Amino acid sequence: MNRYTYEQLYLGQKEEFYVEVTEEMLQDFRRISGDVNPLHNDEAFARQHHYPQRVVYGMLTASFLSTLAGVYLPGENSLIQSVETKFLKPVYIGDKLIVSGVVAELHDSVQQIILKVSITKPDGQRVLKGVMKLGVLR
Amino acid sequence: MSREKAYKKLNEVFQDVFDDESITVNDATTADDIEDWDSLEHINLVVAVEKMFGIKFNMGEVNNMKNVGEMMDIILQRIKE
Repeated sequence: MNRYTYEQLYLGQKEEFYVEVTEEMLQDFRRISGDVNPLHNDEAFARQHHYPQRVVYGMLTASFLSTLAGVYLPGENSLIQSVETKFLKPVYIGDKLIVSGVVAELHDSVQQIILKVSITKPDGQRVLKGVMKLGVLR
Repeated sequence: MSREKAYKKLNEVFQDVFDDESITVNDATTADDIEDWDSLEHINLVVAVEKMFGIKFNMGEVNNMKNVGEMMDIILQRIKE
C-alpha cells in the first residue's frame, strides 16, 4: 500500500493497477448489493438485449476506484469525499481492466486532491471515466 | 474590489455550492444558517471561493473562520496583496 502524504503529492502524479473481472466478483457484488437485475445475472436476458453475455455491474467496475484511492493514490491517507463517473462501455466477465488516476488539482488549504480517473481495457477502449475528490489525512 | 461587489460574487459561489439560488449571505451568516453546510461542503466551499477570487486561504484560516464576514475580510485582504 502506498502512504503518500499531502506534501508528497504533485500535479500530474499517476498511479495505475490491473484487475481481471471474475464470475466470483459478480456473485459477491450481487450478494452484497442485493442487485439481482437480469442484465447482470441472466445470459438469455442479456443476449435478448443484444449483449454477447451478462454485463458486469457498472458499480462493481466503479468499486475499483475505491482501491485506486485507498491503496494507490494517495493510499493509506485517503478519504474519499466524492466520486463522479460515466460508464462509457460495457464490461464483461473475464475482461482485464487498467484502473488509473492522475492528480489534476491540489488544494492546500483543505488538503484535498482532485483525481481524474479512467478505467480502460488493454486494447485502449475506455469503459469508465470520472473525477474523484479526495481528502488526504494529516 | 468593494465589499458589496465581492459579496455579489460570494453569493454566486454559495448558491452554486449549495445548489440553492435563494441563498444570500452577509457578515453574520454562519454554518448554522445553511442547512447543508457541513464539514464536507465547507471544503467544497473553500475550494470554490479560492477559484472564484483567485486566492488561497491557509489551513488555519479555513479551520478558524467564525462567520462569512471573517471569510470576506480574508478574501478582500488577499485580493489587495
